[in-house]
Amino acid sequence: MNLPDIVRCVRWMIRDTFRQSIATKLFYVMVALIAVCTLLCASVRVTGDVAPTTYDWEVPALIPKDEAEKLGMDRVKNDGVRVISGEVSFGFGATKVPLGRTREDAVHFIQTWLAGWLADTAGVLLALLWTAGFLPTFLEPQSATVLLAKPAPRWAILLGKYLGVVGFVGFQATLFIGCTWVALGCATGVWSAAYWLAVPLLVLNFAVFYSVSVFLSVWTRSTVASAFGTLMFWMLCWLVDYSHLRMLGQPSGSLAPLSQFLMDAGYWILPKPLDLSGIFFDAMNAEALSSKPQELKVAESGGLHHPEWSVASSLAFAAGVLGLSAYEFKMTDY
Amino acid sequence: MTAALFENVGKVYKAGWFSRSGIPAIRDVSLTVPMGSVFGLLGPNRAGKTTLVKLLLSLARPTVGHVARFGEPISNRRTLSRVGYMHENHAFPRYLSAGEVLNFYGGLSGVSGEELPRRADALLERVGLADRKREPISRFSKGMVQRLGLAQALINEPDLLILDAPTEGLDLLGRHLLRDIAREFKAAGKTVLLVSHVLSEVEELCDEVAVLVAGRVAFRGTMAALTRDPATGAPRPLESALRPLYTQPETAE
Repeated sequence: MNLPDIVRCVRWMIRDTFRQSIATKLFYVMVALIAVCTLLCASVRVTGDVAPTTYDWEVPALIPKDEAEKLGMDRVKNDGVRVISGEVSFGFGATKVPLGRTREDAVHFIQTWLAGWLADTAGVLLALLWTAGFLPTFLEPQSATVLLAKPAPRWAILLGKYLGVVGFVGFQATLFIGCTWVALGCATGVWSAAYWLAVPLLVLNFAVFYSVSVFLSVWTRSTVASAFGTLMFWMLCWLVDYSHLRMLGQPSGSLAPLSQFLMDAGYWILPKPLDLSGIFFDAMNAEALSSKPQELKVAESGGLHHPEWSVASSLAFAAGVLGLSAYEFKMTDY
Repeated sequence: MTAALFENVGKVYKAGWFSRSGIPAIRDVSLTVPMGSVFGLLGPNRAGKTTLVKLLLSLARPTVGHVARFGEPISNRRTLSRVGYMHENHAFPRYLSAGEVLNFYGGLSGVSGEELPRRADALLERVGLADRKREPISRFSKGMVQRLGLAQALINEPDLLILDAPTEGLDLLGRHLLRDIAREFKAAGKTVLLVSHVLSEVEELCDEVAVLVAGRVAFRGTMAALTRDPATGAPRPLESALRPLYTQPETAE
């Protein structure tokens, strides 16, 4: 088969996967969740934010307004202490949180929470569960026999399906980030471009773990095995990643050489969900908002942490697993 | 040129992940399906008929022997663009409409984007589903899905049409349509490979037949030769001809 035929096959599979995704009920659950998050962002109001510090190293002393009133406002101001007089409100004023930072910091904090925790953890896991059944359904003998009797190579069919699912999740991620970005921007006047970095990172994180789902689907043809196998694998990777970061913070020689080797090998072979979150954390300058894990700080200061290698090795893992899936798919009798 | 060729083909399915033994489906099968004929494949259940079809469609690989499609080995998938396949239990994606099903399978068969809508409309008209083109197939009855399966098998204008128990679920008109299509194929010099338990349609349509029993070819020849009584030379019903073949003892290994 020549290249145009393969491209056509992949295109048809992508189109079919989008159609399949839209036909599932969970698609509407995801759209509803995006709508709720967008509404929540649109309801955010920031008032009385503290002016930014002049220098990066400057750490302003802050006290809440009621304490300042107890101590005496004049005394507080004379001592150069800033009073927390602002607040962030959610739900059009339904819930209020005191604000001791700038307006930008408040919005960054919300965005970090939305993309870094809600989308990167709950969203990716939900998407993995949602899409786990796509391939097993598609590979049921009665549907697969007609499809696989077409001239398209099996690897191109699998690649088309994979790209279709990843593309659709990418579309959902773009919709989520885009809608919440616009809503927060309109509500607060803060338009943070760094927030958009969440889209490729979310897609990358999903694409890496979805390759495992593809392999389990091709191997077992079971939705349950694919869904739970992928979730267990995600937990294993998270644990290995976290343990490796902890080990970097330990003095050298504290681990037996074999254990050290196994830990390093596991870390470099497996995907690194925590490292990918760390990249977004840095891009959002989120350290000013919530403390980075001490282990990661130690690893970074020692030059032992390389986010670019984390991305590259995670991608290499996905490519390897997809290659293995394509081989298994090719060798399977239907 | 032959439409399909099987040379000393054997297929053993794996019994399980950890099992050393396998399940033999067909053994030492040699067959030729000539172009321009309607070829019938008969046999009792578990005789290996569907396995033979799967090998021809590259859905499974032979354990031993050689299988060719239009003179090319089955590893060459390009020749599949000249094959149409319809089986008894179609499970098309339920989220697609009849028109989308034909576009999808036609696109994967290599039919161009300009040609697809014209062919899809003509085929839906032919199989009597033109008025249900935009309806999701989740609302279709089994007979309607079978008609759509027939249209799907014809979307790439194949030279070889493989029909595996095609009349299952089809009504009288659907069966007539299928017979008309088989005759048109033969008249156009194309080939039909028919796997069926409905003896009347096999008798009516097929020029040549092969009878598989326990994975081996028990008979191969013309329909006239099969239905001729070996003792008297007089014609006999197909059922009477098949009964002794189906009940013959399995040959020892």
